Amino acid sequence: MGRPNQVKPARTGTSRREFFKRSGAGTVALAAATQLLPQVAAAAVNSVFQHGVASGDPLTDRVILWTRVTPPSAKSAVSVSYVVATDAALAQVVQRGSSKTNPGRDYTVKIDATGLRPGTTYYYQFSAEGATSPVGRTKTIPAGSTQSLRMAVVSCSNHAYGYFNAYARIAERADLDLVMHLGDYLYEYGNGQYGTARATEPTHEIVSLTDYRMRHAQYKRDADSQAMHRQHPMVAIWDDHEIANDSYKTGAQNHQPATEGDWAARVAAGLQAYYEWMPVRPVDTTNLRKNNRFYAYGDLADLIMLEERISARSQQLTAATHATPFGAGFATTDPGYADAGRSPLGSEQEDWLTSRLRSTPARWKMLGQGVMFAQLKAPGANQTTDPGLYFINSDQWDGYEPARNRIYAAIKGDNAHPAVDNVVVLTGDIHSSWAADLNPNPYNPVTAAGGYNKTTGEGSLAVEFVGTSVSSPGVDSDTTGQIAGALRFYNPHFKYINLTRRGYMLLDVNPQRVVSEWWYVDTVASPSNIQTFAVAFEVQHGSNHLVPSAQTPSRANPPLLAP
Amino acid sequence: MKLNASLRSLTALAVASVALSVTLSTSAHAADFNFSGQLVYHNDVVQIDFNLAAAADVRLWTDSWQSGLNFDPQIALFGGGSQLLAQNDDDDTVAPGQGYFDAGLALTQGGGSPLAAGHYRLTLSASANDPVGPTLADGFTLSGQTPVLISAWNQPGYDVNANDQKGGLWQLHLTGVDQAAVVPEPASLALMLAGLLAVGWRARRR
Repeated sequence: MGRPNQVKPARTGTSRREFFKRSGAGTVALAAATQLLPQVAAAAVNSVFQHGVASGDPLTDRVILWTRVTPPSAKSAVSVSYVVATDAALAQVVQRGSSKTNPGRDYTVKIDATGLRPGTTYYYQFSAEGATSPVGRTKTIPAGSTQSLRMAVVSCSNHAYGYFNAYARIAERADLDLVMHLGDYLYEYGNGQYGTARATEPTHEIVSLTDYRMRHAQYKRDADSQAMHRQHPMVAIWDDHEIANDSYKTGAQNHQPATEGDWAARVAAGLQAYYEWMPVRPVDTTNLRKNNRFYAYGDLADLIMLEERISARSQQLTAATHATPFGAGFATTDPGYADAGRSPLGSEQEDWLTSRLRSTPARWKMLGQGVMFAQLKAPGANQTTDPGLYFINSDQWDGYEPARNRIYAAIKGDNAHPAVDNVVVLTGDIHSSWAADLNPNPYNPVTAAGGYNKTTGEGSLAVEFVGTSVSSPGVDSDTTGQIAGALRFYNPHFKYINLTRRGYMLLDVNPQRVVSEWWYVDTVASPSNIQTFAVAFEVQHGSNHLVPSAQTPSRANPPLLAP
Repeated sequence: MKLNASLRSLTALAVASVALSVTLSTSAHAADFNFSGQLVYHNDVVQIDFNLAAAADVRLWTDSWQSGLNFDPQIALFGGGSQLLAQNDDDDTVAPGQGYFDAGLALTQGGGSPLAAGHYRLTLSASANDPVGPTLADGFTLSGQTPVLISAWNQPGYDVNANDQKGGLWQLHLTGVDQAAVVPEPASLALMLAGLLAVGWRARRR
């Protein structure tokens, strides 16, 4: 095709300072380096702002600015000032302000900086306790006629499982408007329980408020995470691991009330730490579990962010009994499958979503959400005695078929409502890469009967891009692609599956099409600058199905990265 | 005998009155003043006058922040000539019951120096509405702004995650002072005057 399939690594180098920062040796290493590299070390040592800066939830006139202060000794109140400018040198100041923090907020600082201009890049910096923070860069979303959106989409960043090289590559891209994180920003497990590349803080599974705060603090000290947060605003939703694995409204697979206490108390602790430590704007301060919200990215796209875990989700189906190569699967005839009362969203959020899909003037309706919307089936373990196909993941939308069909009904339209075109579902959760056409029953090839034609894409109502993990493991044994190939064989609506690579998606949106590029890092076992463009798919305006695409060009003359 | 008895009782009275004044200037219990009220607008300033007959340990503090249920207060102390003597936004070590963002001044042997005898004015304002200059007449940083209801104001330092500090209650405590009273705000004074005038006018009509 004549296009490069590998980008030359940026010459960021692996200096001693970089090594020490990444290795987490932190204070000790830098203290030692001070004698050798006084200037470099002086810039690097910033104990007051050791958790970096971040921004998020941009609107047309405001954005959340975040940092965390570590005072030299415990204090009841810490004053913090901040500055917002239009240049990286902070000379063109548009706003100065002050705030405070205290131990009740774990010394985190959250500013909702208002009065900003749409579609504008800003730089910001905090000061406290005689120290200044690194300079951060952020951007408001545009208003009105909008021609382009370019963003990275990430999920499943597991500190224990490996290095956030994907974050570092995203940090280097100056032409992104924002980073979307689709959840599993952190993991709740104890040391060695899910990944051994880096030790967890605390060493045990996190349950209490103190635990969750410690884990957030550890993640925010990661150099690559800091680099990404420093350069781009983030729009984040949580999935399950921000509290506990396979969570639902009233419990979780990885929550044992007998030893870990009340689920509601654990959710409250996890959410308090989440809101303290993440650059997000609460949707409802009286009910922190509610987190669904949308961002009108001009007239180009709505970013509709869903909450699929703790506000309303019904418990996952527990009746999976059919043996498949992927473990116990479940069938449409199993108990609970057809229960219309079960939903990941709950009726209030379903109504909200349906209403926005029908009323938004935006060209693209992009759903940022946690678990795979497309069907995923695998054959019975013994095809001779059991020739059926079974759903294999009751935690994704397959376990909530009637609720999924209600979303499809809204997309299809009815006598009172026109069909909704240009729906693009963005998904995380499963540590692997998937591109899918969406149809209520893609296994039915008869399009006249509402089915799906895998050759032409006819019958597809929308598309889904599932991004791989930043570091959590997929089916890494599938080095030949045999398993992915088999899954595509049984599931005709998937245009692409990769189960082994870590990385991120790059979404390039214009009024004519949405392109999703999958970018992979070479390893998460150690810091590395290597990334590879793997594949791209796109959906054309009005087509509602995927076709192969190509790598999109970077934007010319993007705003300077923060220094 | 009768005279002697009267003289004795007079002497006793004199001793008692001296003892009383000593009690007032040294005992915190005899001279604790507690004030509370509602701050309506973000640039309201509560003013309280107090006197010291003799040098004394004085503590001035708020306990109304209540983990963000109410606005974040700060206090400032002005001397007889209205000069700014001390100010504090956050000190929760002055008395039990204070929260992180409560204000306090401990003018004591242990916490600086005792306050000299004299007349003082204490102000309470919302945090970041600071005294501008060296005297009370210089005003406060938010003085010129259009008043914003505390309930509708995002105070600098409010918790975005809780949308807190929207309550207007303030509580101020003074220990070690002799007399203290809230100075009526100019607006209240004007209202009182208007009321008096109205009464006078009605009386004249009658």
